[in-house]
Amino acid sequence: MVLIVNEAYDDAGHEDPGHPERPSRTGAARAAVADLHLGGDLLVAPSRTASRAELLLVHHGSYLDELGAYCYGGGGDLDQDTYATYDSWEIAKNAAGAGLSVIEAMQARDDAVGFVVTRPPGHHALADRAMGFCLLNNVAIAGAALLSQGERVLILDWDVHHGNGTQQIFWNDPNVLYVSTHQSPLFPGSGYAGEVGGWRAINRTLNIPLPSGATGDVVQRALEDLASPVIDDFAPTWVLVSAGFDAHRADPMAELQLTSGDFAELARLALSFAPRPGRVAMFLEGGYDLGALRASVHATLAAALDGVVDAEPRSNGGPGVDQVALVGRERRVAIESLLATEAGEGAS
Amino acid sequence: MTTSRTLAVGFDGSSDAESALRWALHEARSPHDVVVVVHAAGMLEHLGSPLPRNVTPARLIELARRCDFDERRLRWVVDDGDACSVLLRAVAPPISADLLVVGSRGLGRRDGYLLGSTSLEVAQHASVPVVVVPSNHAVS
Repeated sequence: MVLIVNEAYDDAGHEDPGHPERPSRTGAARAAVADLHLGGDLLVAPSRTASRAELLLVHHGSYLDELGAYCYGGGGDLDQDTYATYDSWEIAKNAAGAGLSVIEAMQARDDAVGFVVTRPPGHHALADRAMGFCLLNNVAIAGAALLSQGERVLILDWDVHHGNGTQQIFWNDPNVLYVSTHQSPLFPGSGYAGEVGGWRAINRTLNIPLPSGATGDVVQRALEDLASPVIDDFAPTWVLVSAGFDAHRADPMAELQLTSGDFAELARLALSFAPRPGRVAMFLEGGYDLGALRASVHATLAAALDGVVDAEPRSNGGPGVDQVALVGRERRVAIESLLATEAGEGAS
Repeated sequence: MTTSRTLAVGFDGSSDAESALRWALHEARSPHDVVVVVHAAGMLEHLGSPLPRNVTPARLIELARRCDFDERRLRWVVDDGDACSVLLRAVAPPISADLLVVGSRGLGRRDGYLLGSTSLEVAQHASVPVVVVPSNHAVS
């Protein structure tokens, strides 16, 4: 297996002093890639910006116009968490384009794992609004491009925050399965088990909320017991991972207790969900402790490449097993309710 | 027949949010009306102090007293999310708001600009009436 990473682009202009979503994050992620010492097994996909047509597959044109104008007007706070600068519009388009470029490079061969080193992150960005540090939804833009080619896309989101933007964008799309593990309650306040998809995509959203303190064994069991059968039934042709690393126990943004060794296991699971080699691309989302981010990215990629994983021991014994057991029941109730409503509407 | 309403007010501690809250406290004239003050806890709030300055129950009680409002009809809710999402969720149980009240601008340096306007977003997507209270609105 080879690793395909996007060519670095200058993201230094998207910075707000003191804000945790900062340029050194991509530096830490790229250092983790260098730590792998892959030599000729590391390929670089050329940097490019996403075109307006590619962005329009996900975002509203009016939002794109407003975001661009806002940035060129000098930027500022978009909400209590999210900022933009003069350079942010171009940097965000580069972030979105990086995912597209990595996937294009992967499609030319069948033996690659993709890793998209981007910021700002994307999974909170809605079709028409920035949110939660995110401006453009990078993984959704890549997913939409694959959909336009007739692919069926699994988006596995293991960031500690629920990817509300991605969920909303594909809520009614039967050709996307969105699976998220996340701490709850926590920002953005969505991602409950009863959110199972829209009428045209029932059972195409799978949320696994986890309590504060949950450990890696709980996340793994949730994915194996709950997600795996749904993924098998969906039969994806591509797997995109919203790979946030803020579920690490050292991260200041939340209270899950994962270690770098847990992320290695999650990477192995992600690969097991793919139909064949060369169909898993991971997108950097959160991760705000630079040391934990570097170690976790390193462990993730080493495991994905089936290499030697030098990582912290896996975590176990945390709370959440009971909560995960309830997810299946809540989903069944929600799905039956939606189906009954649909049947009633059809009969009337 | 006695009618009661639940007014949900977005509150981020800004002067505009205080104007919105004062308007709601005066609007909730019926002794059966309830004012629910909703604070959206964003991602950054998780990093630092639990609540920003001026966003405390004590501050709300002080404002209620100044407006001669029975503080027993005042509720205080902190919900995870951005301001727009949290206010829109207030329409659903357990808050079940009949009316949403927001200030026209927030704490953001340039909030209120076309893109960042919580008030515009709420007005566009809410399923109940929305009142946007202008900056420095004086309640008569």
